[in-house]
Amino acid sequence: MKAQELMTTKIESVDADRTVYDAVEKMVDRRIRSLLVKFPEKDLNYGIITARDIVFKVLANGLNPNDVKVGKIASKPVACIDKNTAMNEVSSLMEQKKNARIFVCEGEKIIGVISLMDVMAGALIMRARGEHDF
Amino acid sequence: MIFEKILSLGKKEQEVTDNMREHIKLLNSACDLFRTALEKNDRNLMRNLIDLERESDSIRREIISKIYDGAFLPYLRPDLCRFVEIVDHVFDVLEDTAHYYLDGKIPEQIKNECIRIAYLNLKICEMLLITFEAMLKGDDLREKTLAIRIYEKKIDDIKFSLIKDIHKIPVSNFWEGKILSDFISSLTTISDIVEDASDYLQIINVSMK
Repeated sequence: MKAQELMTTKIESVDADRTVYDAVEKMVDRRIRSLLVKFPEKDLNYGIITARDIVFKVLANGLNPNDVKVGKIASKPVACIDKNTAMNEVSSLMEQKKNARIFVCEGEKIIGVISLMDVMAGALIMRARGEHDF
Repeated sequence: MIFEKILSLGKKEQEVTDNMREHIKLLNSACDLFRTALEKNDRNLMRNLIDLERESDSIRREIISKIYDGAFLPYLRPDLCRFVEIVDHVFDVLEDTAHYYLDGKIPEQIKNECIRIAYLNLKICEMLLITFEAMLKGDDLREKTLAIRIYEKKIDDIKFSLIKDIHKIPVSNFWEGKILSDFISSLTTISDIVEDASDYLQIINVSMK
């Protein structure tokens, strides 16, 4: 199974110069746990901000989310793979990079994202098909 | 195992299961054709779906008449017929979707997502065939039906974001908007019906144990 089969193509993003509060608001509204962070300098200059970053880097440190810019706490660069990457390779890469999300890129453009849940779903589908690659 | 025993009873049962397999394989071909036509924007290819739907009708009639001609034990017949009717309903909805496509125009902003749903519809139908084959062998269907539910959930997620997206697309008149809305609704209903069909396979499987 290839990454493109189960990737999510709708990617929510936030600009790096917005505040962490803006990011939290978006995450709560959309019920998601991470956002792609767009930096203004270059086209392929992305980061990622997760609920974990917000809790540990901002809230737990007593910082005001209105005063912290998203770009300050975003992790970058993001891990990228080709859309034809096999799901077992995606899972190895996640383990190796300790990332729960891997972005799917086409040239310089991000076209999707694969989460741990997608990898788990992929593994279950492969089992059902009788392919035991994992 | 019990299913195998039932099948071994006669030629009629074998013929019915062969026809049911042919019906699901035809559904896979129809989904593949739909996806290719959508991807290539090939309206002539899309029109071929109408012929496949007619072929499906004829297979359905053949299966049901064979079943009521004496294939399988009477208590199994209604469930088998219901399953065949659900598969045929997928063809009907696929044909409707093709008609909406031919009547309207898919905006570029949502085209890729529609192609993605068409691709996942093909995958969910492939899984239905795998589930059917597993049922014939008397295997446990738990893993197969879960895979179908995963695909269905994935399509549902895309559907909700697609619905949000179409709110932003300007339409020039009521009918243009209605056809687009019907196209999306129809395209995203296919997986729900396939899920119903897989639930029925599970019911048939359980009822034979």
